[in-house]
Amino acid sequence: MSQVATLAAKEVRTLFTSPIAYAVIAVFVVLSGYTFTVSLIVSKQATLVHIFFQAAVQLILLVPLITMRQFAEERRSGTLEVLLTAPVREIDIVVAKFIACMVVLAVMTSLTLIYAAVLSAYGDPDWGPIYSGYVGLVMLGAALLSIGLMISALTTNQIVAAVVSLGLFGVLWAIDTLASLLPQPFENWLLGLSLLAHFTPFAVGAMYLSDFGFFLTVVLLGLFLTVRALARS
Amino acid sequence: MAVLSLNGLSKRFGARLAVDAVSFEVQEREVFGLLGPNGSGKSTILRLVTGYLYPTSGTVRVAGVDVVHDGRAARERIGYVPEDSPLYGHMRVAEFLAFMGRLRGIKGQALSRAIDAAVERLAIGSVRGVIIERLSRGYRQRVSLAQAVLHEPELLVLDEPSNGLDPRQIIELRGLLRHLAQDCAVLVTSHILTEIERTADRAAILLDGRLLTVEKITRETATAPVPSRLETLFLELTQAKAI
Repeated sequence: MSQVATLAAKEVRTLFTSPIAYAVIAVFVVLSGYTFTVSLIVSKQATLVHIFFQAAVQLILLVPLITMRQFAEERRSGTLEVLLTAPVREIDIVVAKFIACMVVLAVMTSLTLIYAAVLSAYGDPDWGPIYSGYVGLVMLGAALLSIGLMISALTTNQIVAAVVSLGLFGVLWAIDTLASLLPQPFENWLLGLSLLAHFTPFAVGAMYLSDFGFFLTVVLLGLFLTVRALARS
Repeated sequence: MAVLSLNGLSKRFGARLAVDAVSFEVQEREVFGLLGPNGSGKSTILRLVTGYLYPTSGTVRVAGVDVVHDGRAARERIGYVPEDSPLYGHMRVAEFLAFMGRLRGIKGQALSRAIDAAVERLAIGSVRGVIIERLSRGYRQRVSLAQAVLHEPELLVLDEPSNGLDPRQIIELRGLLRHLAQDCAVLVTSHILTEIERTADRAAILLDGRLLTVEKITRETATAPVPSRLETLFLELTQAKAI
């Protein structure tokens, strides 16, 4: 456990030493702030539903920038060899990087809490959908991070990692549009893979165990495959 | 007692046999050189020794511990400097050493003492607070060596440590290796014959993944102006490859 903490501390510091984390957080906050302002002026409703859907799309676009260098850069520069030849388990390295990426995600989403505070100060928001929306964002972000880490572990080129992650996230987000073109039971199978289909209930205030299970499964599968990608052969 | 023991070690990458039934031992406080042309399997053998790769067949034991079956315990006994000394460029030297020490389970006062000792042995006190990416190649090599000896390993594994160093740094490195070998066994690769001759006690010559011979090196031959016995032997054994 202490090795995971040591590695995670190093990863957090590495992420916040690079300008990428700051740029990603800034873009996320500015865009969601713009949407919050416009939607509040137009709709005059104390809700964050629009913010949650836009934030989800922003995560699809921005998470690859966080995960792309995690393993690809370590592999390219040779530092992964230094880590893997120390008395450290692959799973420790993967969990540490996942925790560090989750810290960035937590900073991004927590900065949007100010919108909830504004709604609370000037209106009477329904807190249920706000709580569930944030839970959904964290679950979606965790799933995207684990997939992004897995892809980063498969290449030495961080641009390739980012592009492949972005493509896969896009497909998983919008796969329900493809599902509608297919006959049963394929339609249901594809719908079951849709990030949008599992995120929507969270965003509108409904939390189902099946959606938790889906995102948790994606996280664990992504981390497991990342460990396998690092495994000595 | 042998600190490192390779027995029938082979490694296959698809159809290519990179290491072919290699066996040798490295004794305590011995500097053992691996010589061979590019692609002869030197780095692959080091990666098998350090547990970065697993063998297709054969065994590697470090101080009696099997690298595959008890990898973590074996890696605790090894200090490793990969080729080109990869480091975290954004870290300061002391910070990097502390990070590597903690990964190796060294904590508190013991960590401070270990860092102080490594800094003194490698003479990097003047750059202790410097960001690694601002260091010269020679100092980067020393920092890489410092992280490898922090935990006082029984086996130090160095992949082409003289790569990219200027003549002065190479001379300093020779002295460092002999100094470090007072406390542990050293397995070092190079494609520069004179470096192995001047630092190693014995050397193995590899070609196409096969071990051709293991030679004992005497200091007299190492400093002779004419082609030494090891040079002559190397040229003879690897002639077919060169042509």
